[in-house]
Amino acid sequence: MLSASERLVQFPGFLRANGFGVGGGDAVQALRAAERSGVLDQDVLRWSLKALLCRRGDEWQRFDELFEAWFLPANRWQAPQRRGAGDGAQSAAHPGGEGEGDRPDDDDARPRRTASREEALTSADFSALTEREHAIEIEALMRRFARQLKSIRLRREARARRGRRLDLPGTIRRSVASGGTPFHLLWRNHRSVRPRLVLLIDVSRSMVLYSFFYLRLARALAAELADVHSFIFHTRVTSVSQALHDPDPWRAQERLHLVAQGWAGGTRIGESLEQFNREHAPRVVHGRTAVIILSDGYDTGEPQQLSDALVQLRRRARRVAWINPLSSRPGYAPVCQGMQAAMPHLDLLAPGGDLASLRAVLPELIEALH
Amino acid sequence: MTSQRALDIAALQQELARAGYVAEPSLAAALLLMRDLERPLLLEGDAGVGKTEVAKVLADINGTRLIRLQCYEGLDAHAAMYEWNYQRQLLAIKLLEHDERAGAKDLAQKEQDIFSERYLLKRPLLEAISDERAPVLLIDEIDRADAAFEAYLLELLSDFQISIPELGTVRAKTRPLVVITSNGTRELSDALRRRCLYQYIDYPDYDKELAIVRKKAPEAEARLAQQIVAFVQAVRRMELQKKPGIAETLDWTAALLRLGISVIDIDGAERIMDTLSALIKTRDDRVAFPREVVARLAAAC
Repeated sequence: MLSASERLVQFPGFLRANGFGVGGGDAVQALRAAERSGVLDQDVLRWSLKALLCRRGDEWQRFDELFEAWFLPANRWQAPQRRGAGDGAQSAAHPGGEGEGDRPDDDDARPRRTASREEALTSADFSALTEREHAIEIEALMRRFARQLKSIRLRREARARRGRRLDLPGTIRRSVASGGTPFHLLWRNHRSVRPRLVLLIDVSRSMVLYSFFYLRLARALAAELADVHSFIFHTRVTSVSQALHDPDPWRAQERLHLVAQGWAGGTRIGESLEQFNREHAPRVVHGRTAVIILSDGYDTGEPQQLSDALVQLRRRARRVAWINPLSSRPGYAPVCQGMQAAMPHLDLLAPGGDLASLRAVLPELIEALH
Repeated sequence: MTSQRALDIAALQQELARAGYVAEPSLAAALLLMRDLERPLLLEGDAGVGKTEVAKVLADINGTRLIRLQCYEGLDAHAAMYEWNYQRQLLAIKLLEHDERAGAKDLAQKEQDIFSERYLLKRPLLEAISDERAPVLLIDEIDRADAAFEAYLLELLSDFQISIPELGTVRAKTRPLVVITSNGTRELSDALRRRCLYQYIDYPDYDKELAIVRKKAPEAEARLAQQIVAFVQAVRRMELQKKPGIAETLDWTAALLRLGISVIDIDGAERIMDTLSALIKTRDDRVAFPREVVARLAAAC
């Protein structure tokens, strides 16, 4: 049986085992906080520790249950909570939460709620994500893409040709040489602002040949650029930014496993985009966001729904581009219903099934994102 | 039994309520802890749940100044910390040049003079740490600023000092109470999160929202206030692009009162429709409220 203070000191470790981002110094802080708040009143202790040890919204939702598991009945604490799909990647996408019900229950409910005839519940083999083959080429291409993106300037001042602004600190510093008389004027450089990129990657069954390639692209791109947000979709949409952009390749695989429910199943693009509009777009998409959809356009949902969702997305975003792996094939025409519905609302429809065709389409893509 | 801390929390809650803010006990506990541990408080939650208000009311009950730094894209250290007043500096250089009496001897003195506090423009962060009485520093919507700015901020939040190359290091005379808010448009760095206490503010439940409406709009009758809150809570349960926040609830209350509507029922659906623009802020959401829906919601209140 642990003493009260030992139990308190080990609480941060317990939280860490359950996926909280607490650090080593937090045990000391927890003791200090408990000293101030007293340990007799359970609620007061809970509120204080909650403010101290939570770092983000999903932790906030799960804290109460873990607190009770650790402090109340002495026999439950050894069973660590399952690290749900909500850990990290997914729940970062729901900081608002639905408000009702607590998070762990929600996790349990998720597969049941969304399982359907069309969904394959098999998990994919994510080791392909860090395959060495073509890794260098992919990285080089994404570096080039990132560099070219940097040349895009979206600020209004970039448009204004006349009227430069004086860089006063620089001018004065330079005027020292001429005894304080500013002969040489320095002008302020226009800050270039890159568009934010949102990648929506189709991982349904028909895309099985390409989705890994696209995930690797997204991963390489995120290593180059700070402002990249990646989502996968099949019958619903899931944020994979945190899982995919984890610098540790092994951990990235692990985390992707957790969100891979429904991988290589059916496609409902319209519904997925609608869900994206509802749950993620208000946070992620703003006036200088370029949304890039990577999908073959085979949709089992209503074309009308897809076109409505795209209209809504188009209004919020700066550009919407669609990269279709099939359209590089000779004789391809966007005849499938999904593509037909999407076409009128896109800034660019480009082929991109492999590295070569992507490389070829890059200038066009950069042009479209301007 | 009730501990001393629980009493403190209740007292703080009452104090906040007197200043016009209905706080949950967990928020009050976090505010007390913030004082004890001298840590910043990071508030997250959807727009319109009253995050900014926390800082305002905190300044109010402490009787100190509120210094607000509104973050935006492209906010740089100069706009947030300090800037030299170059125009005045240039002028001073010119004046000194024409000062005949000045010899080479006090050139160093002149230079020191030009880079003295007289020519320093204090921006919010510097202002916050150079105040005699600890102010409340509100760093609003930090997720709008870039990651580089966050790094600047970390230095301030860990040491409460700002180094100005020409002047030296300015140390905080008193530690400001720092409140940081974020709408979650960008993931904040772990380093920043680690230094902060955290509080997630959700949309208020029925009781809390009713208390807020009663406090902020006392002229609304008790029955009407209940109906308003029930209506708004029902609206929030619908799938909307932009859920109404507390500010919208209060706006709508004011609109209803202005039109002399004293009860929400089916018959008044037409007049309620006229006021909905205070509550529903996008066109797509507005489409989701035809007359029948409003009537049904009104009947349920």
